[in-house]
Amino acid sequence: MVAEASQRVNPIRRGGVAASPAAAGLGGPGLYLALPTYVIVVVLAVAPLALLVFWSFWRYDPATYWIKPDLSFDAYQTIVSSGRLAVIIKTARIAVTTTALALVLAYPIAYFMHRLAGARLRMLLSLLFLVPFFTSYIVRTFAWRLILGRLGLVNTALQALGVIQRPVEWLLFDEFAVQVGLLASYLPFMIFPILLSMTRIEGSVLEASEDLGASAWQTLRHVVIPLTTPGIFAGSLFVFVMALGSSVEVQFLGGAAESMIAIMITDVMRVLNFPLAFAISTLVLALLILLLVIGNRYLGLSELFRSVSR
Amino acid sequence: MDNLYDHPSNISRRQFLKLLGVGGLSLGLGGIELLRRPGLSAAQQKQTVQLTFWASGTMTIEQYWQKLEQQEGIKVNFTDNGNDPGPVISKLIFGNAQQLYDVGGLQGGAEKELAVRGQLEPWDESKIPNYKTLWPWARDIPYIRYQGKLYGIPTVINADSVIYLPEKVGKVDTYAVVFDPKLKGKTAMEDAWINSAIFTAIYLKENNLQKIGNPGNLTKDELGAVMEFLIKKKKDGQFRTFWNGWEQGVQLVTSQEVWAMTGWEPIVYAARRAGVKADYAVPKEGYEGWSNDLLLFKGAGQRGRKDAAHRFANWELGGYYGNALGKLRGYMVPTDNNVTYAKAHPQEWPMQEQKDLADHVKSKFFSMKGAIYWQNVRPDNFQLYEEWWQKLRNA
Repeated sequence: MVAEASQRVNPIRRGGVAASPAAAGLGGPGLYLALPTYVIVVVLAVAPLALLVFWSFWRYDPATYWIKPDLSFDAYQTIVSSGRLAVIIKTARIAVTTTALALVLAYPIAYFMHRLAGARLRMLLSLLFLVPFFTSYIVRTFAWRLILGRLGLVNTALQALGVIQRPVEWLLFDEFAVQVGLLASYLPFMIFPILLSMTRIEGSVLEASEDLGASAWQTLRHVVIPLTTPGIFAGSLFVFVMALGSSVEVQFLGGAAESMIAIMITDVMRVLNFPLAFAISTLVLALLILLLVIGNRYLGLSELFRSVSR
Repeated sequence: MDNLYDHPSNISRRQFLKLLGVGGLSLGLGGIELLRRPGLSAAQQKQTVQLTFWASGTMTIEQYWQKLEQQEGIKVNFTDNGNDPGPVISKLIFGNAQQLYDVGGLQGGAEKELAVRGQLEPWDESKIPNYKTLWPWARDIPYIRYQGKLYGIPTVINADSVIYLPEKVGKVDTYAVVFDPKLKGKTAMEDAWINSAIFTAIYLKENNLQKIGNPGNLTKDELGAVMEFLIKKKKDGQFRTFWNGWEQGVQLVTSQEVWAMTGWEPIVYAARRAGVKADYAVPKEGYEGWSNDLLLFKGAGQRGRKDAAHRFANWELGGYYGNALGKLRGYMVPTDNNVTYAKAHPQEWPMQEQKDLADHVKSKFFSMKGAIYWQNVRPDNFQLYEEWWQKLRNA
């Protein structure tokens, strides 16, 4: 019943006004109005990406130190043979884990800030999450070395408390530290979109849920979470894409010669093997498009954008 | 041009405009600056050539460039290139670096690639009298020449080895400490094949663990053996991490996360300043030598600045630049002209400091059995190096 009520009042699914160009009357004059946007998108986004894909089939020529036109799958074969595919998969795994952890942490924080904290406390918490961003992300990441290292704050405290006899080695220069660094860097990008989406929920909707006899948990599950899906999706997209493209956290906090996609592409660009760099980028692009398609299929993302565009 | 300065009123309007046009052309093509500068001779007052120098940030001598302007009439416009060969080469070939810069400074080894790609002009040794004063081993660095022509002038050389904490590992005189299983999880290397492959190759070669010709330019098979060794060590958990950049290197040593690692000597001094007892090994296997080479970009030739670039190169080897660089960075221009200049100009530079620096650098190259293996940023198989490095990353 509560679920039905949420469906009835859900501003995202309500209405059903289609926003596609045709449905929105973008034939004739509407199409002309939209044309500059399409041109900009094609010139600035589609064309460079198409070139990137096209050049990924060229070949690096060691004799001339240059790339030459070809229709070769060499670059793609190299990705598999030199273990670069493993880096792409590993990076995606780390990005997914970071996104999931950020969501698990961010949602209660955002919920607390919106529902339970007063205006002053909410402002204070917002500032606390924002202040670290006033410093360089390199400095922020580097600081974790001082916290997680052998002689860092955590190990020193645990030893002083008698919890451990010797420093815990895996706190730093391991995937644990990388995950901590990524979470610390990108958590606010999950918190604030969710918080914003919570502020858009009308109080009357929550009151209606309560009037219909829903418990707090039922209201959260059947009303609040569905209504904050746009924030969850936006935050997840931010965190996932940023984690996917990160490198500093791995270089500063990871183990010996650990890699992420961004580090791998930098390595390849250093030796000017552009077809290989483009091939890696093409695969990453394909991965992101695949995720968006899956997201659209199961979360109805295009519906969300339509509601935003109205 | 003299007339323009001294008697502008004595020429017709047409002549004046013509001269302005010529002057403008000169400004554009030759970078001739028509400004009066104090302390310059009359001739220099009229033609101060601007030269754009694109090099590692450590190659600038800041306020001391004034001396070059006074002595040679060359005003240097310095830009830091980051000293990462990949982006530098990329900007030269695809970017606008050729339009912006006349001479460059880069870690040695990229000369051949840049020459093949038509990005460099060869240096004319006859126009650089001071070139003959370079220490012989600097002149003999193999990669500074391509097809017999000189493309790179080593303006700084030094040699790297192992940084270690003597209180933890005792006295170190071998690279073996980095790979010692007893120090598992306590050692590190630099996160770059440019350095770490050659260090490992030196260790394997000099300890007869692997047959290797030139550690700085490994063949396909040699590279495979070296990298397999590193991969095994990584899998064994030998390395705490690999480091990137100055601040990370210093932090690893000062925090004592790492007890021995291959790296740059200045890290030792930084650690000591932080109160950590650190030393720099004199390895029995020899050092990894490196040079920062002066390159003449083809753009300089197109702008008519080749002669100025040669005068600049000659001045860099003349002694004053070496003293300034030694004072500011502790870097050594590989010529005795530095000490000679300091002796002749005691009011400018303390001679003893320069002599100590020269002796220290020379000792690295002479104290052992003379083994110097030059780091090469672009060995013949550099694509393969990168591929192997990726395998190491994934191991």
